[in-house]
Amino acid sequence: MLEKKPVLFMLLATAAILVGTIITMAMPFLWVNTDADRIETVTPYTPIQQEGRDIYIREGCNNCHTQTVRPLVAEVLRYGDYSKSGEFVYDRPFLWGSRRTGPDLARLGGKYPDAWHYKHMESPRSMVPQTNMPDYPWLNDTALDPESIRNKMETLGFPYTEEQIKELNGKTEMDAMVAYLQKLGSDIPWRKVAETTIVGDLTNPFPGDASAIAAGKDVYSSNCAACHGDNLEGMIGPALTDMGMEDADLYQVIHSGIPDGGMPGFSNLGSTKLWQLVNFINAEK
Amino acid sequence: MENPSYNTDIVRSFVTWSLVWGLVAVLVGVIVSFQMINPDLNFGPYLTFGRLRPIHTNAGIYGWGVGTIFATFLYMVQRLCKQPLWSDKLAKFQLWFFNATIIASAVTLLLGYTTSKEYHEMEWPIDIMVVILWVVFAVNIIMTIINRKEEQMYISLWYMMAALIGVAILYLVNAAAVPASLFKSYSAYAGTNDANVHWWFGHNAVAMALTAPPLAMFYYFLPKSTGVPIYSHRLSIIAFWSLIFMYLWTGAHHLLWTPVPDWVQTLAMAFSIMLIAPSWGSVINGYLSMNGQWHQMKENYLVKFLILGITFYGLQTLQGPMQSIRSFSAFIHYTDWVPAHIHMGTMGWVSMISYACIYYLVTRISGRDLYSVPLANLHFWLALVGQLLWTVPLWVAGVLQAGMWNAMNEDGSLTYTFMETMVEMYPFWWARGIAGVIFMIGVLIFIYNIYMTVRKKESAPSTATAEGRA
Amino acid sequence: MDWASILYLGITFGLFVIFALIVVRTYSRKRKDENEVAKFRMLDDD
Repeated sequence: MLEKKPVLFMLLATAAILVGTIITMAMPFLWVNTDADRIETVTPYTPIQQEGRDIYIREGCNNCHTQTVRPLVAEVLRYGDYSKSGEFVYDRPFLWGSRRTGPDLARLGGKYPDAWHYKHMESPRSMVPQTNMPDYPWLNDTALDPESIRNKMETLGFPYTEEQIKELNGKTEMDAMVAYLQKLGSDIPWRKVAETTIVGDLTNPFPGDASAIAAGKDVYSSNCAACHGDNLEGMIGPALTDMGMEDADLYQVIHSGIPDGGMPGFSNLGSTKLWQLVNFINAEK
Repeated sequence: MENPSYNTDIVRSFVTWSLVWGLVAVLVGVIVSFQMINPDLNFGPYLTFGRLRPIHTNAGIYGWGVGTIFATFLYMVQRLCKQPLWSDKLAKFQLWFFNATIIASAVTLLLGYTTSKEYHEMEWPIDIMVVILWVVFAVNIIMTIINRKEEQMYISLWYMMAALIGVAILYLVNAAAVPASLFKSYSAYAGTNDANVHWWFGHNAVAMALTAPPLAMFYYFLPKSTGVPIYSHRLSIIAFWSLIFMYLWTGAHHLLWTPVPDWVQTLAMAFSIMLIAPSWGSVINGYLSMNGQWHQMKENYLVKFLILGITFYGLQTLQGPMQSIRSFSAFIHYTDWVPAHIHMGTMGWVSMISYACIYYLVTRISGRDLYSVPLANLHFWLALVGQLLWTVPLWVAGVLQAGMWNAMNEDGSLTYTFMETMVEMYPFWWARGIAGVIFMIGVLIFIYNIYMTVRKKESAPSTATAEGRA
Repeated sequence: MDWASILYLGITFGLFVIFALIVVRTYSRKRKDENEVAKFRMLDDD
């Protein structure tokens, strides 16, 4: 009977499809993005940040970069605190992605100074020689259109001020992109919470050890050269030659960073690599 | 001979255009694979990886995949129902509108008009076109089925109807958005909800567009190619209901360890494992249909494509559930393992089946023997080698990179920076690019063979008793 | 047992019964011919 009645058959097939759909797709709306899910410090995007996000979408950045940190040890160490549902309530669409050809960007905001991003977007290979990320210099050439951005803010129902719209005049797509990247994942004070303090005395475990200095050079090339230059000559960050810092003080700075000066902390390198780095830098003076 | 009242012109036209878009998909795939090796191959703003990759995926799914679905469904429905197409005019409109939609998609994606949602990147005006296209198609198929002369509905018709309904529901729900302008809209859902809705769509687009239709094709074209019936129609019925019921629960296995509620993830994991049963129901049904017919693997080129295709479906539906387990996903997710999984499905399963169907129905419609069986065999080997050279290195690459991402030193720090893990990928990406070229040569030979078959002027009536016998 | 567990168990059991009914119906001896005839009919020359 069923095999001979296409209309009845299609109704039953629809019912079969709808069971899983209702339970796993529709029902989560009862929990997700409710008040219980929200985080007070998470704010909507400002006009320039939202425009940056739309440019990120337009250029298909999500094809290579994810935006969600999983609660796994190696992942939290590499990128930062794991992602919470409440951090995404203003994301239309979501941009979690599916493949990390490049690194995850969920916690990028505040990691590097603006200057790093401008240079990196223009020419990634000038900072990370072996990267396969394309150059995006043309973002510098297009001015933002304040009225279309106002229209987008109205569509989204996000709050904005006339001041913010006026400030868009003279800004480029690159400015918007950087503004967006600096917002990513920084609405919750995770850096402050994750901060580690050094207890006890810092003693250089490999003073004058040539192999430690050689290893430190590799650590430097992978982690520091992009900002401080291949030969410590300085670029976005200052020159590191002739710093005259004590080993312990230098360790402290690299470990915790200089938040106001745009220098990220590198505590996740671990003590061994940090000491190798200290020995390398201080051997160069 | 052919029943003269069947509409075969429309089938032929859809075959032609699905071949065109299939070639575009593979060509763009090869281009983006080399862009990943050398960033100098990006020519901004239009020809960058970020904009071309969606063209590769959408040309593959909507151009080649759906184009072939249109061609084969319109072919099968008339024969299984012993009834000509309900409306030839509607079918003609569908052909015209299909190409308009694909072209509009390609152009807008190049211009950067995208929603960013994977496999659903087209902006809202094109969503509307897709919906119109699908409704026109569905009405024509369903009306033909309702008017059928053959009382019993064969299993292929079941899968076809499920696909028509499934794609419609999925696409409509996931397309919901608020337009800000003609080519910019914002999703109706935010953040975690958007992610969950999207991967409910994403995974079931695979179910309803890249699993149910190829199964409909397999169940039809395997018996037609071998000349013996499917092993068990009853087994196919059990597998059918289980498959369409279970698939819809599994979308969140794309979102394991994300902020999506834990119970949704757990359900997705459990149902993904359970899906092995109905998937293998079809695989086993296919294998058992070959009882006493295995010699055809040597003699009949169509059987090679079909049996290898169903074999890769079997492997795909074992690997997929394995990846859906939380602990395994924690390791390989976000690496090249996953693209390799997808490409075993698209290059090994969907394309292999589609090739067999097109070889079969083109010779059948034209009433001619295939121009060259040796060339079809060569195509088979190029497709097989191209796919394996694509997937196997990238599984290795995925495991390698996952291992490096997770490697830790004694002091509790990470062993490798991100870049140190990425540069290890370059040799594997070279293998992928070369594999893509091999696969593309196969596609070109395929198109040449089909072209020569329908082109040659002299009358060459088919001498074979069953199609595909050489 | 709390009501949620009972609900889960009930739904699972209900689904299993539906599945069993589909199997029984499909494989009933009475319907064997009816359910297998389509696979022969589709081979008819068209």
